[in-house]
Amino acid sequence: MGMTPRSVALGIALIATFAAWAVLFLPGLSAPNSPSNIVRPYTPLEREGRVLYIKSGCIGCHTQYVRPTDWDYSDLRVSQRGDYIYDRPHLLGSERTGPDLSQEGGQHSDDWNLAHFEDPRFVRPASIMPRFSFFTRQQMQAIIAYVQCLGFKMADERMARQIHWHRRLLAAYRHGEDYNATYLAKLVPRQWMTMPNPYAATQGSVQRGKFVYQQMCIFCHGPVGDGNGPAARYLNPKPMNFTLLKRHRWSGGMIYYQVMNGITGSAMPYFKEDLESAKIWDVANYVAVNFIGRNVDSGNDLNGIPASREGAIPGTKPLVPGAGTKAPVPGPARKVYPQRPSSSPQPASTPAAPGGRSQRH
Amino acid sequence: MAFRFIDTTPGSTARRFVISGAWWFVAGGVVGLTAATELVAPDLIGARVLIFPRIRPVHVNTIVFFFLSMMLIGAMLYAVCRLARRPLYSEKMGNVAMWIWNFSVLAGLLTIPAGFTTSHEYGEYVFPISVAIIVAIFMLTINVFQTLARRAEQLLYVTNWYAVGAFTATLIVFFFGKVMWHPKTSAMVGINDAEWAWFYGHNVFGTWITPLALGLAYFWVPREADNPLYSHAISLLGFWPYFAFYLQVGTHHLIEAPAQPWLKLIAEVNSVGLLIPVYAFLTNQWMTLRGRWWKIPDSVVLKFIFAGTIMYFFTSSEGTIEALPSFERIAHFTNVTVGHAHLGLLGFAGFIACGAGYGVLREMYGEIWSERLAQLQYWLMLIGIIGFTFVLTSVGLLQGLAWRNGETVYRVLPEIFSYYVERGVFGCFILTGAGIQVYNFLKTVYARRRRSEEEFFGLERAAAAPAALTGMAGD
Repeated sequence: MGMTPRSVALGIALIATFAAWAVLFLPGLSAPNSPSNIVRPYTPLEREGRVLYIKSGCIGCHTQYVRPTDWDYSDLRVSQRGDYIYDRPHLLGSERTGPDLSQEGGQHSDDWNLAHFEDPRFVRPASIMPRFSFFTRQQMQAIIAYVQCLGFKMADERMARQIHWHRRLLAAYRHGEDYNATYLAKLVPRQWMTMPNPYAATQGSVQRGKFVYQQMCIFCHGPVGDGNGPAARYLNPKPMNFTLLKRHRWSGGMIYYQVMNGITGSAMPYFKEDLESAKIWDVANYVAVNFIGRNVDSGNDLNGIPASREGAIPGTKPLVPGAGTKAPVPGPARKVYPQRPSSSPQPASTPAAPGGRSQRH
Repeated sequence: MAFRFIDTTPGSTARRFVISGAWWFVAGGVVGLTAATELVAPDLIGARVLIFPRIRPVHVNTIVFFFLSMMLIGAMLYAVCRLARRPLYSEKMGNVAMWIWNFSVLAGLLTIPAGFTTSHEYGEYVFPISVAIIVAIFMLTINVFQTLARRAEQLLYVTNWYAVGAFTATLIVFFFGKVMWHPKTSAMVGINDAEWAWFYGHNVFGTWITPLALGLAYFWVPREADNPLYSHAISLLGFWPYFAFYLQVGTHHLIEAPAQPWLKLIAEVNSVGLLIPVYAFLTNQWMTLRGRWWKIPDSVVLKFIFAGTIMYFFTSSEGTIEALPSFERIAHFTNVTVGHAHLGLLGFAGFIACGAGYGVLREMYGEIWSERLAQLQYWLMLIGIIGFTFVLTSVGLLQGLAWRNGETVYRVLPEIFSYYVERGVFGCFILTGAGIQVYNFLKTVYARRRRSEEEFFGLERAAAAPAALTGMAGD
């Protein structure tokens, strides 16, 4: 049989039918949709939010499945087939212009989400998501309900914690900002309250902290750290006013702990996925030096290997007079290792500790 | 000559399809450039219907279904008629299909931003619009089959195989893949839905855009190079395996999604197998050009199509590599995919569509209004697409490796900002090319006298067609 229109059409139709059988019908028949251990049906409000999610085209930028290789999601749970049995149509997505949302429910508080939809840059200053301030009140409730249900039973658990702590934080906030600050500090484990910032508040550290602050914190806590950023009006309780903290003799570890884990129940998210340890310490230095006005780093006399890169620049230390030296350091009595040179910018005069970073660096 | 809604003069369907496609290229390009700008300046347009997520599918669908589909259909109808040595079976039916197609696009342009979408990629149009498009494809299929049934040239040239294959397979793929029997959502449930959607989504290119473009390359390269086709045996090797492999690769979009492992394996194996027909096709085209490379600079048609075949090499090879899990882990979800899609659709299919479009108008009107403008368009689009692909591939690898390093999507955003700016700049090149094209097309149509039917079918250029068929004797 030669290549005639009929033979070509017949051949192609056969191939297409076979392919449809092999990759469409067979998978559907061979894998029934059985529920996974976390899935649950949508509530009517969540369903309404889902429709809004589809209509707004959110799927263009947000995926809804976690792959085995996704390192950037700390609560890594690889998505399963059974997670999607209530999804029609599916919203797996194909681009991560924005983050994956399959476990987004309960990761942020409702008011964080409200501020984020009003203008994503309020809470995520480098975001390129468009504003959804045109949503009506009802639509806003629906879309937030949908986002907060992603992760299903896992999300419900997180939301229950959010709601529980939200009530308590509100009660504390009503007693006034100072009471609130003390209340929040009490929630931080003791060892973190007394832990000084292991990174000296050098110019470099504070500069890096400023950069991080501008990318993560600025529109809630405000450019001067008074908690009056543009997002503040959507948030309840309001963002922390750092300038109130001066009289408390709290250490850098307190800031670190709160930034790392967030404050469940408030709009303060956790940053342990976004920021590495050193960057959180840097931002703690920036906040301490610029807003609290009290340096809470480990001071000049480093207790560890002194050959670090952060040599003091003449005239810049101490950044705040009298800072650091009184910071309580737990542990055995400190042996003061050769002083960090205060006159020479080069740390060359300090002997390199064995195994420490060499001077060449 | 007064404008007639249904024009029954020979060639009118092909011409109108080509010119509509050129218009939609500009429209889709403007939408695309707006979307690209919004990635840099998200607050640029506050209107809810013009935010990025709502206009991105408009850009994709306008380019795929309207710029590419319409120009390729037009050029393919022309090629089918020339190879059959017969006018189109029914210009009337063709014109109706053309109007249905154009109005669907307009409906799509309005409905997607208004929020009527299925949320299936490449299939965002809601049920009624999909039905309208399928009806139009069905009418065109009948037209092509009837024209071929009345052909004066007994042997069926390769281009016709691709035309028949594309129309047949697309009808089947659209019928299944759009999940037509669920008008409200056009969707199945859960992962099944993803598998069906990607069967459709990938085969929009596999059975529709690409075969039409390949067929047109087979038509124009031997004609423009004045050389018979290198080998018809290789054409066969490029044709059957192409459809056999391509129709099963859709699941490679879901390699790390919770789809069945065996299904992913099928997709991966077929993605690798797809290299055979791709390289067979390329061998055939480039060997046809042997000894005739000097023809390329002279003919803007050949220039476009030759560039298209080169980009086909890159995009197909890249596609296979992307389907392999080891690379997929880095490239998936990033802009590598976006770069790949642009290289494939604009670089390969788009260049062939533009070249074939110029070819059709040149043969219908004797010459193109301005060859120099066409050359300028070629270079603008070439710089645009190469720069675009380079930028997007770089930024995609940057994203993928950063994520693998544990950085969050948000943290990487400031790092890729400047790449997004550059992408917009290269987009301007492409859009300028599109504008030049539509101007040149319209000038050709309005400034040149159309050839009469006798001229149209009796010109010396037609001699090139049988020359291309000489290798066919043994079939």
